Amino acid sequence: MKESTIMKIHYGTALASVGLVAVHILMRLTTGFADSLSYENVLANYQSIPYVVMLELILILLAVHGFNGLRVILLELKQGRVYEKAVSYGCVVAMIVLIGYGSRTIIMTNMGMV
Amino acid sequence: MTQDENKEGVKGMVNPGRYGIERIAYLLMRLTGLGLLGYFIAHIYETSNILRGRMGWDDFLAMTQTTEGHIFLVLVIGMCVFHTGNGIRIMMGHGGVGVGKPARPDYPYDPASQNYRHKIGIYSSIVLAAVAMMYGMAVMFGE
Repeated sequence: MKESTIMKIHYGTALASVGLVAVHILMRLTTGFADSLSYENVLANYQSIPYVVMLELILILLAVHGFNGLRVILLELKQGRVYEKAVSYGCVVAMIVLIGYGSRTIIMTNMGMV
Repeated sequence: MTQDENKEGVKGMVNPGRYGIERIAYLLMRLTGLGLLGYFIAHIYETSNILRGRMGWDDFLAMTQTTEGHIFLVLVIGMCVFHTGNGIRIMMGHGGVGVGKPARPDYPYDPASQNYRHKIGIYSSIVLAAVAMMYGMAVMFGE
């Protein structure tokens, strides 16, 4: 993929996640901060379909943005054909693992497998 | 000097001197980015504790709902707000907003893009981060 396209994805994921993370944080302020983190409240959050969709979107957007950012930092430090490929594929694998792990929590909690 | 000897590596990247506030913003952007990625991974792991049931969730929550945990979250808020504010400034700069008009390069060759608009953007991001941190402290320690 062209670096210019990757940067557009980087900026797009940044802007989209700013809005969604703001909603995610505001949800913690709807009741008191500590109350919003109680087991019942968190479970209720996970069982609301719109909220779960939003959490999954945040997970994907931030994983893509975060690991691409890490890739950019690592490529600034050192260059080379093998190194660049290792960094790029390593970041993609780490991103997929993180999305998989986070999605597992979201799906299992939403389906009541707690 | 060979090309290898001229490479400063991480030392060059983390040296905030020589180039003014823009260089400090560059360093802070990377530090906050790495910090937020670390927090994001930890947060995914933290929330997965809900799968351990009420006991697992409450046990893990007790570990984070401490003074140290709250101070850590305040730092995360600061990193998040600075990274967002400065990130928007960078995006606008890449889009050609606020970088000045093209002109003939004359001595002392001041870069047109490093102008007061972008400096205000950097300082505003730092101030916003400080305000958000204070608000976060009021919410978390005010209960």
